[in-house]
Amino acid sequence: MRQWRSIAKEAMDRASIIVKFLCLLHVTDAYVVSSNHVLGPSMLPTLNITGDVVLVEHLSHRIGKLGSGDLVLVRSPLDPNKTLTKRIVAMEGDKVTFSLDPTRSFSSRSLVVPKGHVWIQGDNLYVSRDSRHFGPLPYGLIEGKVFMRVWPPNSFGLLG
Amino acid sequence: MGEWSSRVIPIVRGLCLLYVTHKYLGTTVVTYGPSMLPTLGITGNVLLMERISTRTGKLRPGDVVFFRSPENPRRVVCKRLVGMEGDQVTYVVDPKNSDKCNTIVVPKGHVWVEGDNIYNTKDSRNFGAVPYGLVEGKAFWTLLPRRDFGSLAPKPK
Repeated sequence: MRQWRSIAKEAMDRASIIVKFLCLLHVTDAYVVSSNHVLGPSMLPTLNITGDVVLVEHLSHRIGKLGSGDLVLVRSPLDPNKTLTKRIVAMEGDKVTFSLDPTRSFSSRSLVVPKGHVWIQGDNLYVSRDSRHFGPLPYGLIEGKVFMRVWPPNSFGLLG
Repeated sequence: MGEWSSRVIPIVRGLCLLYVTHKYLGTTVVTYGPSMLPTLGITGNVLLMERISTRTGKLRPGDVVFFRSPENPRRVVCKRLVGMEGDQVTYVVDPKNSDKCNTIVVPKGHVWVEGDNIYNTKDSRNFGAVPYGLVEGKAFWTLLPRRDFGSLAPKPK
């Protein structure tokens, strides 16, 4: 009986160390910096089509220090289980001019980004589905700012 | 040093547990404002919110939900869920001035929310369908005031 007790106690001690570590990992992941695998053609040439691992920081959007030109990770307004990586082109109150079909340069539209929203576009305008298709993005859907690429190793470095 | 850390560590563990519960299970919320009369009072209610239904996709029209405002990302708003994606919603555009109705289909990945007090509320009729990613949780129990203790009332007819 005493043997089981001491085994159980040792198991609990080891498990609690693991739980504490996972807690710390989770808090860092959600509030400081996390890594993310992004793939797809919509951010060429900035990000590769075959997939990059990038570091995303979760501080700037909470203190309101995002601006146009920043690469951001956002939750998709069309599918809440997916995240997208795009570039902020305009903040709230800015006027944005865009064309749905970049091959025809004379078909452009303008609008003012409403309060509490941002306008995001992929760098590769020909294949990106972004604010030109689903409208301005509510600021609350922004999850973090992409600031660095760590894989593949030959393109290691700061982004943006 | 040892004595100080032996006092702080249980507090840190407690805060950790509180944080995980708050983020993944649920929390208490204080609401105020006239937009959900008669279900919720003007002077304020204390409600229990759970986050499990949102994460598992088990929200239904008729639920009272909390979501981050599309107009002000620092505010959390409480309204009733009226339509899920793909539903057809008919709503009165401006009930104070006219009886004109509008019908829309809720776009993919969005929900349609309306306050119970349609005469004094800013909801999806003003800012459009809300992306599902902004929904934080579902209210399932009223703690205060005492006379409303219990589950929330369904949408008034």
